[in-house]
Amino acid sequence: MKKNSLLLLIIINSFCGLAQTTMTDSIQKLDVVTLSDVKLKKYNSGFKVSILNDSIINKSTSSLTRLLALNSNIYFKEFGSGMLSSPSFRGTNSSQTAVMWNGININSQLNGQTDFNNEIASNYSSIAIRSGGGSVQYGSGAIGGSVHLNNTLKFSNHFENNLRIAYGSFNTEKINYLLSTGNSKWTTSIGLSYLDSKNDYKFLGTDRRNENGAFNSVNLTANLGYFISENNILKLYHNSYTGNRNLPGTIASASREKYESDNLRSLLEWTYLSKNYNSKLKIAHLSETYRYFTNTDSNLFSFGKARSLIVKHDFDYTFSNVINVRSVLDYTNIKGIGSSFGSPKRDAFSATLILNHKVGDKLNYGFNIRKDYTTEFKSPLVLSADAKYDVSKKYTIKLNGSKNFRVPTFNDLYWQPGGNLDLKPETSYQGDLGQILDLRAATFTFNAYYIRTSNMIQWRPNDSGLWSPINVNNAESYGTELEFMAKHNFASHYFNFKANYSYTVSKDLDTGKQLVYVPFHKGNTTLTYNYKKVTAYYQHNIIGGVFTTEDNINSSFFSLDPYDVANLGFSYTFASNLDTNYSLGLEANNIYNKYYENVALRPMPNRNYQIQLTIKF
Amino acid sequence: MKLSKLAFLALLIGTIFTSCESVDDAVEQEEPLQSYENGIFISGEGSTSVSGSVSFLSNDLSNLENEVYSNVNDELLGNYFQSIGFNGDLAYLVVDSGNIVIVNRSTFEKQEIISTGLVTPRYIAFSGNRGYVTNWGDPNIATDDFIAVINLNSNIVETIIPVDEGPEQVLAKDGKLYVSHKGGFNVNNKISVINVSDDTVNTIIVNDAPDEMIFDASGNLIVLSSGKNLFWEMPPVETEASITKINVSDNSILSNLVFPVGSHPSLMAYENGTIYYILNDELYGFQDIETTLPSTSLLSLDPTSTAPFMYGMSVKNDRLFVTDASFTGQSELLIYDLNLMIKIKTLDVALGASKIYFN
Repeated sequence: MKKNSLLLLIIINSFCGLAQTTMTDSIQKLDVVTLSDVKLKKYNSGFKVSILNDSIINKSTSSLTRLLALNSNIYFKEFGSGMLSSPSFRGTNSSQTAVMWNGININSQLNGQTDFNNEIASNYSSIAIRSGGGSVQYGSGAIGGSVHLNNTLKFSNHFENNLRIAYGSFNTEKINYLLSTGNSKWTTSIGLSYLDSKNDYKFLGTDRRNENGAFNSVNLTANLGYFISENNILKLYHNSYTGNRNLPGTIASASREKYESDNLRSLLEWTYLSKNYNSKLKIAHLSETYRYFTNTDSNLFSFGKARSLIVKHDFDYTFSNVINVRSVLDYTNIKGIGSSFGSPKRDAFSATLILNHKVGDKLNYGFNIRKDYTTEFKSPLVLSADAKYDVSKKYTIKLNGSKNFRVPTFNDLYWQPGGNLDLKPETSYQGDLGQILDLRAATFTFNAYYIRTSNMIQWRPNDSGLWSPINVNNAESYGTELEFMAKHNFASHYFNFKANYSYTVSKDLDTGKQLVYVPFHKGNTTLTYNYKKVTAYYQHNIIGGVFTTEDNINSSFFSLDPYDVANLGFSYTFASNLDTNYSLGLEANNIYNKYYENVALRPMPNRNYQIQLTIKF
Repeated sequence: MKLSKLAFLALLIGTIFTSCESVDDAVEQEEPLQSYENGIFISGEGSTSVSGSVSFLSNDLSNLENEVYSNVNDELLGNYFQSIGFNGDLAYLVVDSGNIVIVNRSTFEKQEIISTGLVTPRYIAFSGNRGYVTNWGDPNIATDDFIAVINLNSNIVETIIPVDEGPEQVLAKDGKLYVSHKGGFNVNNKISVINVSDDTVNTIIVNDAPDEMIFDASGNLIVLSSGKNLFWEMPPVETEASITKINVSDNSILSNLVFPVGSHPSLMAYENGTIYYILNDELYGFQDIETTLPSTSLLSLDPTSTAPFMYGMSVKNDRLFVTDASFTGQSELLIYDLNLMIKIKTLDVALGASKIYFN
């Protein structure tokens, strides 16, 4: 109550005390309509938000894992190339990163995480990485940070086709087609991706191969936008994925397992635009299904399925262009069914209030508050505050602090045997200080953060040998992140250099040991060179050693060596006429042919190549 | 000004990148002892991310070597290492993925590997010129379980003997095999008695989940069944554990000592007429001629781990060896003196440490 009145006081004060400036409606409208990242920027001024735009996304046909591993500070655990890939953001675990698809949290209801190898990066127009806790705006799991997959609807006269065909080592085939067309009233985009790989790379230094590692997937995305009237817009987003993966064994033992999964996501959004406010009503349907086979030759499988129905209302009000207030009401109904967890249900409701205030040209701050009500357990009240201050044109300081949470998944609660109905949500506090130095030719971003998470859910064997999850761990993570970007050009030669480095300490507070699979050091650099129709790049990725067991023993049995892997790419564009252009690309990965394991006992690919033809018409 | 700032940044980044080279100090591998005649082997199951391994402890408890197999043979044993069987000069290492690695039991040098004909193998016993391996088959299928019969000259699976669901431990005595059907992914309640001369199978019904078996001094078969314990079911399903004494001459049950409801012992050992078992981290013992279970324990085990999980026990020369298994780090081997009833040693051994064998 006290907090609420404080908020109100701030709103009123700011409203009275500030000069009103007007901005043309049309620009604002265009922003709201076309750029889904606007909200991300508007209400997160004190947070580090890095946006990967389509020029980076479309550089290759890669998975989201590869794109983010090479262009952000997020560390990924990949259970063999092309297999399950889970993120570790600022030393947190795989279910502590929220993934938002056009504003909807898509983390699995079954295991709490998103498999980044199931997402085709080029299906999105922009991908944003928001570092730091964000449960107030993005819900459960936004503890280390969040990844935002956005489709932009283009309301302009256009008809564009993009066809990309790639073939690479280990019999890897990729086909990607994107169509976008529309005018100022309506727009549509359709994307179709097919991926197939035998994935039978050699384990360097042995006579063995990655057996039983083949995978394939089909991904369809379809988006539609329509201006019903000048103030009413209807948008429809859809994505469906179906994938089959054989699960390769380890270097120590073979496997015959197979995993099939289907994910469907649909979102209908009605936006009403007015001079001072806009209102969005969203209805989303998400469904996820997996089938797990212990033997590829057998028809026997176990399965799990969950579907979510989400109704969300988002109201965004602007006072005099300096104060933005936003309220979000969200109702979610989740139903699951599976071989190992019966048919659980969950109803969840949340109410969120978000405020952002711009003070003069230099200061921008925000307050967020959210309360969740869930049928199975009590969720905490979460809060967040952030501020951004432009010290000078070149130097900016960002500061934020928040309380965040992650709810137990259906697996945690209901898995038989082992599920624990007494689980509570994990709670986390975090603080983050960011500095940005923008020297035009070079930009330097430096962040330091601290995260403390309590009641972490962990599966452990109990005294009768049965694995069961309990709220057992308390952990803290702290570290620094550096981002460096530089541009240089002379004549028609353009150079672009980008580097990310992170130092991460993530400790179990009871034992004082570093958490498993959190490297102290991670760094990546990309140098891109462009001369007329030629583009070339060199990427270098460095991952420090990790411990694979809790006791932090430095030996080949219990830890992984540090590794560095480099890639080289080259492309040439032939423009035949104004409407059509062809480009041919060549890519060489792991060019120094190094043996490395990202997850213990699962060697990653040796040197490999890909050739790619892109036609735009 | 600008330039110097940039140079500073470049320097900073450079320093950090360089410093990451030296963070992970390599720990020196222990030199293999190379001689494993007089000591104790501990089998470590491993996990999905750590290979199974073998630990060795000398009889005087002074020399410990972890990862013996990898140290000697410079390769990994495999994920989910199940058990060891000894025959003559050889040790047979049974790995869940369908391999049996044969090593010399004194040097631990690899001799051969059997990798066909086994599906989820568990334990091995020997009779005459043959090895008999219990196999779950596909754990999801209740009807494909079998005993693989290995010709010990050719090391080839020559034939199979189909058996009931979930064959676990196997003992051989006087031309017969005794197989405890714990049940695999399910729960079973049978002991199969197989005559190796003609592969005929007889069945003895015992309490649910029979696992550990020993022969007592009079040659009777003693079986520990831990009882069904499906506490996650609604309502929970529990049956009684028991220690069953079987006369092997006619497969008749001589006695069946039943535990109170809610007790589920799973580990048993035997020495000098005493049957030992562990229940809720307490060691109990009673003479094999007694007709009731003891009401008080001999000693309370005092594991130091935060989540103790007693996963294997053996007794020899009045010393008790117990593994407190961890699957997220090294396990602990606890050693007690059974005359003084005190703990004499705690050692860090293989991840997922289970069975203890005297070589």
